[in-house]
Amino acid sequence: MRKAPYLFIAPFLIVFAAFGAYPLAYAFQLSFTRWHGAGQARWVGLDNYLFLLTNPEFWESLANSAVMWLLVVPVQIVAGLAAAVLLANARLKLKSFFRVAFIAPFVTPLVAMAQVWIVIFDQDYGLVNYVLNADIGWLTSTTWSKPTLALLFLWKTTGFAIIILLAGLQAVPAQVYEAAALDGASRSRQFWSITMPLVRRSIAFLVVIQTLAVFQMFAEPFVVTEGGPYGSTTTAGLYLYDHILASDLGTGAANSFLLVLLVFVLSVVSVRLLRAKDE
Amino acid sequence: MSTSSISRRSLLLGALSLAACAPGGTAAPTPSRLAAPSVTSSSPKGEITIWNRSGDLFKVFDAAIGKFRAAYPDVKVNHLSVDIGAKLANTLITGTDVPDGSFWDDANIGSQAEHLYDLTDLIAPYREQTAPYKLSVNTVEGRIYGVPWDLDPGLLWYREDLLAEASIDPASLTTYDDLLVASQKLKERDPKARPIHLDKNPFLGQLWLEMLANQQGTSMTDAQGRLRLDSEEYRRIFTWIQKAAKDKLVTHTPYLEPADLASIENGQQAFIPWAIWWSFAPQQLLKQTKGKWRPMPLPAWTPGGARSGVMGGSSFIIPAKAKNPQLAWLLYEFLCFKEPGIAAVYGPNSVYPGGLSTSIPSYLPALDPEKPLFKDDMGLWKVATEAARNIPPAAPIPAWWAKSVDYLGNNLQLLIEGKLSPDDVIAESSKKIQRNLIDRS
Repeated sequence: MRKAPYLFIAPFLIVFAAFGAYPLAYAFQLSFTRWHGAGQARWVGLDNYLFLLTNPEFWESLANSAVMWLLVVPVQIVAGLAAAVLLANARLKLKSFFRVAFIAPFVTPLVAMAQVWIVIFDQDYGLVNYVLNADIGWLTSTTWSKPTLALLFLWKTTGFAIIILLAGLQAVPAQVYEAAALDGASRSRQFWSITMPLVRRSIAFLVVIQTLAVFQMFAEPFVVTEGGPYGSTTTAGLYLYDHILASDLGTGAANSFLLVLLVFVLSVVSVRLLRAKDE
Repeated sequence: MSTSSISRRSLLLGALSLAACAPGGTAAPTPSRLAAPSVTSSSPKGEITIWNRSGDLFKVFDAAIGKFRAAYPDVKVNHLSVDIGAKLANTLITGTDVPDGSFWDDANIGSQAEHLYDLTDLIAPYREQTAPYKLSVNTVEGRIYGVPWDLDPGLLWYREDLLAEASIDPASLTTYDDLLVASQKLKERDPKARPIHLDKNPFLGQLWLEMLANQQGTSMTDAQGRLRLDSEEYRRIFTWIQKAAKDKLVTHTPYLEPADLASIENGQQAFIPWAIWWSFAPQQLLKQTKGKWRPMPLPAWTPGGARSGVMGGSSFIIPAKAKNPQLAWLLYEFLCFKEPGIAAVYGPNSVYPGGLSTSIPSYLPALDPEKPLFKDDMGLWKVATEAARNIPPAAPIPAWWAKSVDYLGNNLQLLIEGKLSPDDVIAESSKKIQRNLIDRS
């Protein structure tokens, strides 16, 4: 009789062990070895970790991701919240149109969007430079490559932020706003005193999820800039992949665990900073 | 109801136990040596899967494989178009669904030798008839893991009409210094001219750099894998690039992208030192300047010096876990060494009515200057085959070559942009390649 609960959860445990715990433990073990995908793995202790921690390129990749985070997450929270408030407004006309317009980039394949980005931001023949009558290397200069890539990420994922924030907004009881209105609170006052505190958890969730996404960002730089020019868009995720591509699997594994640690710390800090005072 | 709890510690212990079960890459597949095919009977049988690149080349090979099928009717060939660069290395490492054979860039083969058949014995009968460069670059510890496919000699592509207007005799361009003088002359006639193409793509730029090094009989590393960027040969190349860029004789654009094509078409570029595969541009892409480009041997670095070098190229590999390696070899042998196979690949076909002219065979008997395999109106076959016969051998391409583009390839771009000096490029690239790649390989 006591075995029954374990039998019920056994399918999950088996799948989790095979595809979650085992690969994780395997990668952890791998991070202490020098292995190129064939032959004998050589135990090197902490060498892979030391190599990364003393390698300027590792820190540059983190710095690139940190800049991307600054360019993406605050903008996304503000823009996402504004769009969600707009969509939550009962008097908004063409609500379905706006919903589709905001969500469409989120469900569009990234590679297709990336190709559009490459075309419209081309220095010589791109639409953007044509409209601005400029000669800016949006994707080929170290100054502009990160903002241009961040814009693609924003375009692609802000729809997801809107979904999360809209769900948070719709969970706020209408009576709270009605009571505030009866008490004479302005719309601005309602936003800062009701909306913001009550969607704080949604914002915290979004910050954590997007922090994870930005530090793992891979496909965008891989397709659009290949990490260039001069490594300026080599994000932490892409840098990790570089080790795998070079068959330096031990360093790749060590890099991934350092990233896990970093993202864990950032997530905890974000949650603590955004936690409501009464929690 | 009583329950027994599973503590976090137990879960952790479980995970560690799982880790202990991990193979940890300790299974050591020693390189397998492929023996001569046992399928010597007239009707070998079986099924093979061959990976190839997509696009026009795939169609050409598909037709050529059709000829193989006609010669060996009992061998079924599954010819697949695959993103080899993205998938082959991973497939070899995981050992799942590996093909029986695949074409692969020479720069990638050394790093995966442990997953490939050692083909040294099989290529032995053809060794004397094969371009030495192609054998040397795919040699790891004295054994050959990639058998040569195409050969890609470097050539100097020039605008015949522009040189004629400026009274520049192409035959006078025997050294790279001559090339600078001629470029200066073109620039004096047309101030907008930036006659020499230097590529803006770091990977292609490094590939091009290695062609110039190969021409001088050197390469990034020696046969023992020691770095030799800090050498007279590389310094000579970097100094020349610096001078060309400083004198504004250079068009710095990415290979055949719109900006590059525009500057080719409007007469800004007149010299393109590049591999034979640039022939694709005048034949397929260019409109206004079609018919105005001609190939000639590369200039030499020193008077009387070598005028050939290789830029890129691919070879054929057979994975160690291939199901029918001997049949894969049979296909390779047919396409590379048998006249019907060679003619099917390079001769006129439905995709290229004049034949495939973006490379030439690495099988030397096929390189008769008087018997062109493909037709062209630029004299390409004659120039390319003569260049091919003088290509110096090279050291094996190191396994980390592609990764070194992050250092050398990028620094080369900074040199062209005037942000690094030749000494900076050598010092910076050497330091990082040694620390991050060689010391960790």
